[in-house]
Amino acid sequence: MRHANSRRSLLKRAAGAIALAAVTLQPAYADEAAEAFVQGILDQAEPILSEPNSDSFYSGIENLVTQYVDMRRIGLFVLGQYARQMTDAQKEEYFPLFQQYATLIYRNTLSDYGGQRIVVTGSIDRSERDIIVNSKLANPEPGDAFANAVIHWRVYRDRDGNMSVVDAGADNVWLAIEQRSQFTSLIANNGGGEAGINALIAEIRKRVDQG
Amino acid sequence: MKLVLSIAAFCLPLAAAAQAQITGAGEADDIAAELETAPIENAAEADPWEGFNRKMFAINDSFDSALMVPAAKAYRAVTHKKQRKGIRNFIANLRTPVTLVNDVLQGEFGRAGKTASRFVINSTIGFGGMGDPAERLGIEQHSEDFGQTLAVWGVDSGPYVVLPFFGPTTVRDGFGSAVDVAADPAVWIRTEPAQYFRYSRTGAGLLSTREPLIEPLADIKADSLDYYASIRSFYLQSRKREIANGRTDFDDLPDIGDFEEFDELE
Repeated sequence: MRHANSRRSLLKRAAGAIALAAVTLQPAYADEAAEAFVQGILDQAEPILSEPNSDSFYSGIENLVTQYVDMRRIGLFVLGQYARQMTDAQKEEYFPLFQQYATLIYRNTLSDYGGQRIVVTGSIDRSERDIIVNSKLANPEPGDAFANAVIHWRVYRDRDGNMSVVDAGADNVWLAIEQRSQFTSLIANNGGGEAGINALIAEIRKRVDQG
Repeated sequence: MKLVLSIAAFCLPLAAAAQAQITGAGEADDIAAELETAPIENAAEADPWEGFNRKMFAINDSFDSALMVPAAKAYRAVTHKKQRKGIRNFIANLRTPVTLVNDVLQGEFGRAGKTASRFVINSTIGFGGMGDPAERLGIEQHSEDFGQTLAVWGVDSGPYVVLPFFGPTTVRDGFGSAVDVAADPAVWIRTEPAQYFRYSRTGAGLLSTREPLIEPLADIKADSLDYYASIRSFYLQSRKREIANGRTDFDDLPDIGDFEEFDELE
């Protein structure tokens, strides 16, 4: 009897411990699959980054971005509240242009990391579908001002389990959030709504044409 | 991403480095007249004084292109990389007492201890602050100001505001910078050497802050569709992290679209 009791209480305790662990760990699990996903991209990027001045640099980055970055999702996000106000004709014009513009920004930003190797250091999941993967420079030059910087990648996992990158940043400053600030500001300052969105599209086109 | 970091680095010390007298932030009437009514989804990026801010930003930007950039280029031309690093360290070391006071005011005694050790180590075996042996001993630099202290005390940031010469700040942080300036003994000593020291420190501080950012800021300006909005977002995002002493979790990030909802939009 006594034996059964103590076993039951042991079970109870174990259940309690598991429940407690589940509660305390809930908000910040690491996500190894997402980490491996990002490290895979970074490994592919390494030989490209090692030659930032070569002809193949831009096309190399462009290929990676096309393959792994969910431009459509980011394109909608950066429109903020205006995403819903876009007409079909505007969508048709906007998305290809946005893809070119964002690729340009990724290219210009990543060219600063020429010759560097970036390694994943860990991850935090905001939810099962929305994971922050952190990384840093593997061998920063001594005294490099960015030696201690944390480079973030935001990974989105869709319903079928496919992963894509939806934002990148450093030390808690994010590119897509900054782009949204620009885009919504530009739309609002050009009358908002359809007219504002047209103005935005024209501005993106101007920037993309400059190359 | 270096660009992002650089911007963050640029926006923050600028307010602190500038020792010029604070001129008024514009007449209240002007500001009220410029109130923008554009709906902004994210309250953190609300910018009710956008009209006024954009004007100030344009003035600061032309001042920057006409004076600061050429001066920073000249500074780069006449100094060696190692010398510039020394000057950056020296100026950062002079700022340590302000950081120390604010560490204490925030109840961050561990960090206050680090700040004090850094000051002692770098001022002595670091040749008066030119070197940073403390960093090599594993005591990393951090920076605090009264704006951050107010934030820790629960004071809301208030609207984003661009001040003449000081650049981007918020009402709370601008007030904080003024307090930090006033807490500096050199501001109150009205002798010629103190005056000389003050001006040299301001000048050196500005040049040493601007010099590493010549290319990054030029790139951002070239890539941005709206340079003003870019800088505003960089400032507000990086400021949030400063205030949290780097301990931010990612809970307050906006969803990149309500994910499910966006699936339906396609």
